[in-house]
Amino acid sequence: MNNVINVGMADLKTARTPDILMTAGLGSCIGVCLHDPVQKVGGMAHVMLPTTNGNSVGNPAKYADQAVGLLIEEILKLGASKSRLRAKMAGGSQMFTFPGKPPVLRIGDRNAETVESELKRFGIPLLVSDVGGGVGRTIHFNVTTGDLRVRTINHGEKVI
Amino acid sequence: MQITQVQLDALKEIGNIGSGHAATALSTLLQRRIDMSVPKVWTVSLDNISSVIDQLDSLQAVVYVKVEGGAPGKAVFFFPIQSAEAVVQALMGTDEGIDILGSELAQSALKEVGNIMVSSFIIALTKLSGIPLQPSVPALAIDMAGAILDAVLLEEGTIDEEILFIDTQLTGIPLIEGKFIFLPNEGTLNKLFGVLGL
Repeated sequence: MNNVINVGMADLKTARTPDILMTAGLGSCIGVCLHDPVQKVGGMAHVMLPTTNGNSVGNPAKYADQAVGLLIEEILKLGASKSRLRAKMAGGSQMFTFPGKPPVLRIGDRNAETVESELKRFGIPLLVSDVGGGVGRTIHFNVTTGDLRVRTINHGEKVI
Repeated sequence: MQITQVQLDALKEIGNIGSGHAATALSTLLQRRIDMSVPKVWTVSLDNISSVIDQLDSLQAVVYVKVEGGAPGKAVFFFPIQSAEAVVQALMGTDEGIDILGSELAQSALKEVGNIMVSSFIIALTKLSGIPLQPSVPALAIDMAGAILDAVLLEEGTIDEEILFIDTQLTGIPLIEGKFIFLPNEGTLNKLFGVLGL
């Protein structure tokens, strides 16, 4: 029986096989997932914004520029090896457009860009991502296989 | 920000009057009875957001209108998809099934519903506070409720650890339920408390 562990907004969790990490209803937020296929451990962070940007940090899992490093630290505690870590991510949508007003901040896109550059900075390969567009996503991350199941309402479900 | 009991009561009353006007507008528009809960004024921490929307990945039609002017905020209507269909059916006077995702007419009708409800809310709030306010053009999203809520919350690129919601449940008879949320922007609460002498 695998446990499904819920990762809330601005939350960060790690798990061992055979557990599943999940987060529901990602809009402009990003679910970043790390996996060590040998140790069969994984972690997920529900990132909301790209950078702390001088804001008092509060909960570091909220920001892409803090969460990736923290997620690595946490997953290493479960015996993962940094050199084996690989990443997947999903989310980063633009859910609303106001007629005649281009979205200035593009939070979703910038979240994805920041996660990507953070992963690069730590030397962790991003195997695959499902980001952008205008759809909400619910994701389940299998820490045994590293499969990331992405469910949307109008574009079905896929495993990446 | 610390809110006193008196201020909290004032916000509830603002919610009550404002949402009452919005519910009345919906009732007039649809020609059916709409009941309204006592507004809940509460601060929710981010990890507890699912207490605002029970099912973060449930399919809902959400109309989002920005309240602009001296006391800005965000007004958001959540309609579970069946209720959104019932709203459009009542507006169009039909019993036929409506595919909201596929119908531009239905979507524009929903936006108009949001527009009229928020305008009523704003008129009430302006009368009460004397602060001039205007609604933005309404935007509509039909997708997972949680995904839409996060986009609304994050739009300005900042977010607090705790968010104040003024939250009213609407129930139409038969078969319509919806949730009206007003999110005051930073500074708006102080402005309102100021003019109300609190």
